[in-house]
Amino acid sequence: MTSLTLRQVSVSLGHGDARTPVLRGVSAACRPGELTALVGPSGSGKSTLLAVAGALLRPDSGQVLLGDTDLAQLGDGGRAKARRERIGYMFQSGNLLGGLTTVEQLLAAASIAGRPARRLRAAAETALGDVGLGHRLRHRADQLSGGERQRVALARALFLEPQLLLIDEPTAAVDRDQAGALTDLIARTARARGCVALVATHDPVVVDAATEVISM
Amino acid sequence: MYLALLELKAARGRFLLMGCVVLLVAALVGIVSGFTTGLGDDTVSALRRLPATHLAFSPDAKSDQFARSLVPAETLAGWQQRPGVQATPLGVTITRGTTDRHAEVDLAAFGVEVGSFLDPAVEDGQRLGGDGQLVISRKLAEEGVAIGDTLTVDRLGIALKVTGITGRASYGHVPAGYVTTATWQAIRFTAPGASTPAAGLPQQYSAIALRAASSADLDGADGELGTRTVSVTDAYAAAPGYTGERVTMTSIQFFLYLIAPLVVGAFFGVWTVQRQPELALLRAMGASRRRLLGHTLVQAAAVVLGGTLAGAALASAVGLLVGAEVPFSLPGLALTATMATVALAALAGAALTLRRVANADPMTMLGAGR
Ligand SMILES: Nc1ncnc2c1ncn2[C@@H]1O[C@H](COP(=O)(O)OP(=O)(O)OP(=O)(O)O)[C@@H](O)[C@H]1O
Ligand SMILES: [Mg+2]
Repeated sequence: MTSLTLRQVSVSLGHGDARTPVLRGVSAACRPGELTALVGPSGSGKSTLLAVAGALLRPDSGQVLLGDTDLAQLGDGGRAKARRERIGYMFQSGNLLGGLTTVEQLLAAASIAGRPARRLRAAAETALGDVGLGHRLRHRADQLSGGERQRVALARALFLEPQLLLIDEPTAAVDRDQAGALTDLIARTARARGCVALVATHDPVVVDAATEVISM
Repeated sequence: MYLALLELKAARGRFLLMGCVVLLVAALVGIVSGFTTGLGDDTVSALRRLPATHLAFSPDAKSDQFARSLVPAETLAGWQQRPGVQATPLGVTITRGTTDRHAEVDLAAFGVEVGSFLDPAVEDGQRLGGDGQLVISRKLAEEGVAIGDTLTVDRLGIALKVTGITGRASYGHVPAGYVTTATWQAIRFTAPGASTPAAGLPQQYSAIALRAASSADLDGADGELGTRTVSVTDAYAAAPGYTGERVTMTSIQFFLYLIAPLVVGAFFGVWTVQRQPELALLRAMGASRRRLLGHTLVQAAAVVLGGTLAGAALASAVGLLVGAEVPFSLPGLALTATMATVALAALAGAALTLRRVANADPMTMLGAGR
């Protein structure tokens, strides 16, 4: 099973006067099969940390080990490959492709990962059912509520059974009951598949369910 | 591929609209091209059919040579003495006439020597046999002139007996008819209103048609005989309207070739800018640059090829509809060439946006602007 280890990761963002040190020598470890919560005030760098762990952003220094691979050492192509083959990512916002139905959002991810998208339609419908969207299979992004959009994104992050799940505020736009159900889904999935699940959140529901908490 | 098709489907309205724009540009290019060739044929096909390599005009005629140039019989005799050259007289005059069955027609009278290399072969009836006879272009037959008719040249009263029909040939948008040089001289030099052709018409011609071996010294002959010799293709410019029509049509075509890539480039440019968030998301989900570029090319190719194919069909359909009424000619090869040019120009326009596609930044998924 694959774990995620960050060692002395530093990141500055922006250019010129706006250049800001966001992460300064952050170290953390996430075990597979467990839900790890990432907490901290707004602007503390939670999303940035996820981006580093998700091979979107190359840190200025430090190591980002996913199993034996140091993501910080990979080039542009290597990081894209890691993203499509090993990582499931739910971004804080802007997750969906315009004009596609919810099912197609998942199939698009499959297509990018080189899976036979056409044959995964039934699996995609099941995955959407798991996040409570079994009745929204033919809706397009602009026909969904904010919470529904984020649940589609969650279903997509889980869909291809990645080694690493990165989830940015899954419960920000849903009600209490939904928040509990989604947190449970993430925890169960991590346990069942033995994957790393790192969840940035402000929500006590998520924090309570986590086996590990990282504070920024 | 699946993803490229998903994107096409998701934006089908826009792609359809763009395809229609490409279709219209392609059809317009095809139609303009058809008219360029058609009008050109209508202006010079009689000259193109002349089995001559060169035409010798009188030196004072700098433009509209066929109307202005007059070459005397002595010069013809001089040319006929030159080594490596076959020479025969040619007269060209546009006139009009009425048949005994009351068909009124315009006629480009070509005066040729019976039995010379200019004497046209016929598809129906008899070849030119002597003075007062007329071999007409197929086009005149379509306008109601038949073998056996007598065509009287308006205001001159010169009667011409139609003996044969040759292939399509016209000059300055007027269908050609072939007569003997003597008959041509009567048409050219008789004063209108004179009741009988004047005796002793000038022994002159519009030009001397030459069949010159490549070794023939044409410049030397021009110098000695006082003529100006040009190749038959160069003489097209002397046909009425030829140069003006060509410049007009060619410049329209030229601008359409410029417009095609600009329109397609602008479309894909706007579309790519609008799509930056989606492209960034696709990159963040792990799609490689190469893959996104591939998608864009596939989509551009689909729009451009679909549009040009439909445009080609539309241009051909227009050609079939109007071809009988107006000069329009769009043979398969010309159609293929113009459509290929439109498609290439349009694809070049789409290629302008590839850099933007490749540079979509997955990090914007972090930004607050989304
Ligand atoms: N492109 C950028 N240029 C400069 N500074 C940036 C840039 N992107 C983010 N930052 C800064 O980095 C800091 C951390 O941002 P990040 O999105 O990681 O915070 P966060 O902990 O996820 O906050 P929230 O809980 O509000 O989502 C913020 O203070 C932000 O202003
Ligand atoms: Mg955040």
